[in-house]
Amino acid sequence: MTDAPTTSDGLLVFKPKPSLPPPPATTGVIGWMRFNLFDGIYSSVTTVIGVLLIGYIAMGFYEWAFVRAVWEASSRNECRLSPTEFGTCWAGVDFWFTRFIYGRYPDAEVWRIDLAALIFILWMAPLWLPRVTAKVVVGLSAVMVFPFLAGYLFLGGERNWFMEIMVALSLTWFLGTMLHVAVCLLLNQGLGRLTVRLSGFSSRDDRFHKYPVIVLALIAYFAVYFLIADWQMVEVVPNQWGGLFLTLVISGIGIASALPTGIVLALGRRSQMPVVRVLCVAFIELFRSVPLITILFMATTMFPLFLPKGLVFNNLASVIVAVCLFSAAYMAETVRGGLQAISKGQYEAAEAMGLSYWQSMGLIVMPQALKLMIPNIVGSFIGLFKDTTLVSIIGLYDLLGMINAISQDPQWIGLHHEPLFTAAVLYFIGCLAMSKYSQHLERKLGAGDRR
Amino acid sequence: MAVVERPRSDSDLSSIINDERYRSIFYQILVFGIIFAVAAFLVNNTLTNMASQGKAAGFDFLLGTAGFSIAWTPLDYKPNDSYLFVYWVGIVNTLIISGISIVLTTILGFIIGILRLSKNWLITQIAAWYVEVLRNTPLLLQIIFWYLGAFANLPRPKQSVELFGADWLVLNNRGLYFPNAEFGELFWMTAVGMVVGVVAAIWYNQRATKRQLETGVYVPTWWKILAIVIGLPLAIFLVTGMPLSWELPVLKGFNYQGGTFILPAMCSVLVALIIYHSSYVAEMVRAGIMSVSHGQTEAAYSLGLRPSWTMRLVIIPQAMRAIIPPMISLWMNVVKNSSLAIAIGFPDLVAVFMQTSLNQSGHAIEIVAMVMLFYMTVSLTISACLNVYNKKIQLTER
Repeated sequence: MTDAPTTSDGLLVFKPKPSLPPPPATTGVIGWMRFNLFDGIYSSVTTVIGVLLIGYIAMGFYEWAFVRAVWEASSRNECRLSPTEFGTCWAGVDFWFTRFIYGRYPDAEVWRIDLAALIFILWMAPLWLPRVTAKVVVGLSAVMVFPFLAGYLFLGGERNWFMEIMVALSLTWFLGTMLHVAVCLLLNQGLGRLTVRLSGFSSRDDRFHKYPVIVLALIAYFAVYFLIADWQMVEVVPNQWGGLFLTLVISGIGIASALPTGIVLALGRRSQMPVVRVLCVAFIELFRSVPLITILFMATTMFPLFLPKGLVFNNLASVIVAVCLFSAAYMAETVRGGLQAISKGQYEAAEAMGLSYWQSMGLIVMPQALKLMIPNIVGSFIGLFKDTTLVSIIGLYDLLGMINAISQDPQWIGLHHEPLFTAAVLYFIGCLAMSKYSQHLERKLGAGDRR
Repeated sequence: MAVVERPRSDSDLSSIINDERYRSIFYQILVFGIIFAVAAFLVNNTLTNMASQGKAAGFDFLLGTAGFSIAWTPLDYKPNDSYLFVYWVGIVNTLIISGISIVLTTILGFIIGILRLSKNWLITQIAAWYVEVLRNTPLLLQIIFWYLGAFANLPRPKQSVELFGADWLVLNNRGLYFPNAEFGELFWMTAVGMVVGVVAAIWYNQRATKRQLETGVYVPTWWKILAIVIGLPLAIFLVTGMPLSWELPVLKGFNYQGGTFILPAMCSVLVALIIYHSSYVAEMVRAGIMSVSHGQTEAAYSLGLRPSWTMRLVIIPQAMRAIIPPMISLWMNVVKNSSLAIAIGFPDLVAVFMQTSLNQSGHAIEIVAMVMLFYMTVSLTISACLNVYNKKIQLTER
């Protein structure tokens, strides 16, 4: 005890050791940066390289898109001769923007496309309103009944007897849906129930409840049918369709038809019946192993040969049929993946409950399989949306086709980069929106599976 | 209580309808009948239409003269060759671009995928945006972008861009020029040496692994393997008097002479295909590595394995199981998507055969069938090869 510090009268004195320096911050901006950006020498070097890369790209883009931008010009030459030499010709994009969206659709008739889009949005919107009942009917009708009304709005001209019936049905259905939504929001009660109550049938047996609804629907249908009998619009032939509008028409029909046909094909592929199975496998494998462009070429060159004399398919119809066949084959494989992921116990349990094949598929297996496959299903929708650009190769003026056409216009000859960039942004927004929504849907529907 | 049972007889119609066996046969006959009727209807229409247009079906046209020139092909094609040869040229061109793209896109995709899992936040973000931007824009748009935005604006041969400062690797508006290897007479011996070296290295490596498994003694093999694989062919190459020379591209007049070149269109297709698909590979690699549970890493660390060994011996082999199956379909997609080269005029199979030859000869059905046959053969071959490999590395379960 000789080394320990003592006072003069021999008592031990407590002397603390100097405290350690504080550890490096792990919280706050500095800590976060130290941990995520400068964690060691390699990390710091890559961070610096990354910052330089981003800076280089951002500067280049800023100069191209903003510094050299020319917003007002009437031809590409004016952009070139502008004070900022070789200006980025946003004026051209501005000038052609309506063409990007509507293609060569006559200006006076463009409201028809807008109206159809508005109707579709109104038709689909109730699916996101919690108070609306019968959402399945609303959603299915938007996919299966709406196309007739939209088709007539886009095409115009004279209606044959079939379209006469279907357009009236579609319009009635739309008005009925809107009324139903309004009633749901105001009275918190479906249109059907309200009709039953107002007609005084609510006191009767449940069996009779459908009669006032049917009568009302028929009255409405015939009223609409006779009201629009003389309604006719100018015909716009499909050759004039184009731009983003055509892209959405083709991919929309492809997407809407892919799921039902894909489900049927996937079930067929897993069927016990050899003939059905072989046919489904052959169809799926054929269409999945060849590129879409060969199917499109096949459609435009061979479909005219397949059809009986006198029946002429236009290019657009052939392309739509080809896209539907193609997307169905891909969707079938996606759905099959989902079906395989469902454990055998589920099938057996459904059978043990005495459900028929279609009941067990529709009520037990499909809801689980489709929920599991949402990311892949949306993935193939995104793929289809991107793949519709291929129709520009066979001469349709979809968004990409329109952009190629514009660069050949005498006034704007050689205007490539700015329209291409615009199209890329439009596609990017569309695809990103779809994938983000699928992630949201996955989280929402998977809420029960999370621990 | 007496149970009254309904008398059953085989002649009862409802029992036949409800019998699953009969019902399934009935449905199959029905489906077959419908398909057959539709097919017969289409074939009948086709025959009628072709007869009325005065066309005859058959493959005789394949031997006729094609009569058009093809912008780029490694084969010795001349306009007076037959359609059959055009078919072959198209196949070779398609296989070349898809082969190069498959190899490079896989490598690039692995790099991006590993960068996405980096601990560095900035690098992860850059990789994530790379993937998002490329996956969410159409491939066709990207091909056109690379063509019009980069490769169509190149300078004339006199102002060529020299890549890496080498005057034998130049890029101009006629294409990318690079040296052409010219093999001397005795070069076959070097090639044989290379094959022997690789075989010997594999044999040596297997023996070393076996010995390590038996005795637990680890012998570093990599430098010996390197010596065998590189040293043996190099020694033969030097002994036989270096029978290899390079034919360099040289600027003569208005264009480069000598060497090999590829078209600007081909460059843009390759760049677009490689970059576009690398984003898909990156996602697969990321998902594959994430699918290996973190417990594996911890177990490897607690056994005393170094991080690099952990990655190589524990994580990657398990991740490969999740990576290989989607990779199969991606490689098939690369082959299929190479057909988009048609949009910027690269002469692949679809462009030369399904477009030009079809428009000239008018034999739609035969040509469409031949093109589809080619793509189906490639797809089925790739998936067969990879399925074999896939079976080998899959987890062997009881």
